[in-house]
Amino acid sequence: MNAGMIELFLRRIAGFVLVLFVLSLIIFVLARVVPGDPARIALGPRATQEQVDAMRISMGLDEPLIGQYFTYIGKVLHGDLGESLLSHKPVRDDLATFLPATLELVLATVILVFAVSIPLGVLTARYRNGWIDHLGRFFSLVGVTMPGFLFAVLLQLFVARFVPGWPILGRMDYNLAPPTGPTGLYLIDSIVHGRPDVFLAALKYLTLPTLALALASIGQITRITRSAMIENQRKDHVLTLRSFGVPTRVIVFRYLLKLSSIAPLTILGLEFASLIGNAFVVEMVFSWGGFASYGLSAIMQKDLNAVMAVVLVSGCFFVVANLVIDVILTLLDPRLRLREAR
Amino acid sequence: MSVEDISIVEATDAPALTARYMTWYRFSRNPAAIIGTIIVVSVVLIAIFAPLLATYPKHVGAVVDFRARHLPPDALHWFGTDKAGRDIFTRVLFGFRVSLLLVVGVLGISVPIGVTLGLLAGYFKGPVERFISGFTNVMLAIPPLVMALAVGNVLEPNLVNAMLAITVLWWTWHARLVYRVAKSVAVEDFIEAARLSGASHFHILTREILPNCISVISVKTTLDAAFVIMFGATLSFLGLGVQPPTPDLGSMIAESRQFLPEKWWEVLAPGMAIFYATLGFNLLGDGLRDMFDVET
Repeated sequence: MNAGMIELFLRRIAGFVLVLFVLSLIIFVLARVVPGDPARIALGPRATQEQVDAMRISMGLDEPLIGQYFTYIGKVLHGDLGESLLSHKPVRDDLATFLPATLELVLATVILVFAVSIPLGVLTARYRNGWIDHLGRFFSLVGVTMPGFLFAVLLQLFVARFVPGWPILGRMDYNLAPPTGPTGLYLIDSIVHGRPDVFLAALKYLTLPTLALALASIGQITRITRSAMIENQRKDHVLTLRSFGVPTRVIVFRYLLKLSSIAPLTILGLEFASLIGNAFVVEMVFSWGGFASYGLSAIMQKDLNAVMAVVLVSGCFFVVANLVIDVILTLLDPRLRLREAR
Repeated sequence: MSVEDISIVEATDAPALTARYMTWYRFSRNPAAIIGTIIVVSVVLIAIFAPLLATYPKHVGAVVDFRARHLPPDALHWFGTDKAGRDIFTRVLFGFRVSLLLVVGVLGISVPIGVTLGLLAGYFKGPVERFISGFTNVMLAIPPLVMALAVGNVLEPNLVNAMLAITVLWWTWHARLVYRVAKSVAVEDFIEAARLSGASHFHILTREILPNCISVISVKTTLDAAFVIMFGATLSFLGLGVQPPTPDLGSMIAESRQFLPEKWWEVLAPGMAIFYATLGFNLLGDGLRDMFDVET
């Protein structure tokens, strides 16, 4: 880490903060110009007009829009996301309950995507136009072409038919108590508590949603890894290595793979937004009960504070993922470091 | 003098002809592109002629025939019947209509907006560029489905509002793409030449830069058609798109999901129909990309 890199990251973080700020402004304005009075929704149809008016004042809805926004942002910066208009619980507590489930699903998906698509991309590029290449391209095409919810439903259908007893709904067996652990991720908590049976059950329940969520990204990332590998094979330094008699295996894994993982990593960062979006559908199909399911019901019931929190947290997901990817990219690609140092 | 004229005409015409021919040749020798074209044309024809092709045209509406409910596929009902006894084959044909209507609506609005903003940002330097590309980057950070759900729910769920919800975010990808191409074209010498000869900004944008973006736009738009079909189906699957009894492929799947795994055909038929349409547009888009040799 030199001064140039630190400056680069600080600039990126500043840019991302700006993104979150504008995002929150857009959603805030959108949510307030909506027909339907939030105070009326919170109190229900039987409340009198006086009660609604009192509620409006206590919620700060009588202030001008821009004042409301800055009051809200000030609270958010202090970690107060407001109260859910329907459950009357702090939105922050709701998020703490639901977020770990989604985090577990998304992390498992990212791991699976890389575990499958990088090797597949390398293989399809190495044996270009061989049977494995055609197979890989076929699967990538299906992955890109098939809507997430359709794949999820079909997966459920086939597993229910051909693998009876494999869980297709929920996160955990009814007769097994979910681990009450520090992270809320069942896989990690069950290890912390030393419960291999709970770990296996959690893994089983995690399989299908993860597969369903990963499919589209696997198709995309495999395609990009393949074309990056093929393009970089023609580079001069690779030819030089080859002419020096360096074994293909060493060239592929020590030199080509590092160079060729830059493009897929960049794309994965952009894909993250659609990954979060797809999580909404996958969680609904598999009754996963995570943050996305919470967001879906908040949106359906016009629970404004909850909707704002859901959008902000989705934005944060995206921003943090892209920051992490930026760090990895600068570590992988010396050219990025040099450009900043210059 | 006249001899020279002829030779000039030949010299400029011949390469243009072969270039165009070579482009077409590349496309026509690509089996995937041809299959894609056939699928897309068939989907469009089905959507147009759905009332003539349908075996039970009345089953598009709120028809209920309880004696014929949940029938498996047979000679009378090629794809079986649904929970209200309606012919699924008929409803799938009309489902294509809704999907294509959505594609035309969304892309018809968002592509011109995105292209215009991309052109402006790529051609004008300074605050215009910074503002448009900054705004585009912010919009790209919003998960499209979350935004569409928020917009779709604020308004009443129906076809037009589903279109609006998708359009709100869709232009960003076109803006980004055209911005990239326009920015690289804007520094070329022929732009400078046009400017020196007194061409207006409007002329340069529409006559000099835009033609260079057409191939990228057409590839992206074709691939987008597939995404819009998928996205629209996802919205109506979640209950925010087209409302019953209008036959929509996404809501058909949502309605039939509870009858799985016994009544598998009720999910499989609309599911495969979506897959067929998106596959067609993807193959065609990939074929066009190879033909124009561009990156999107």
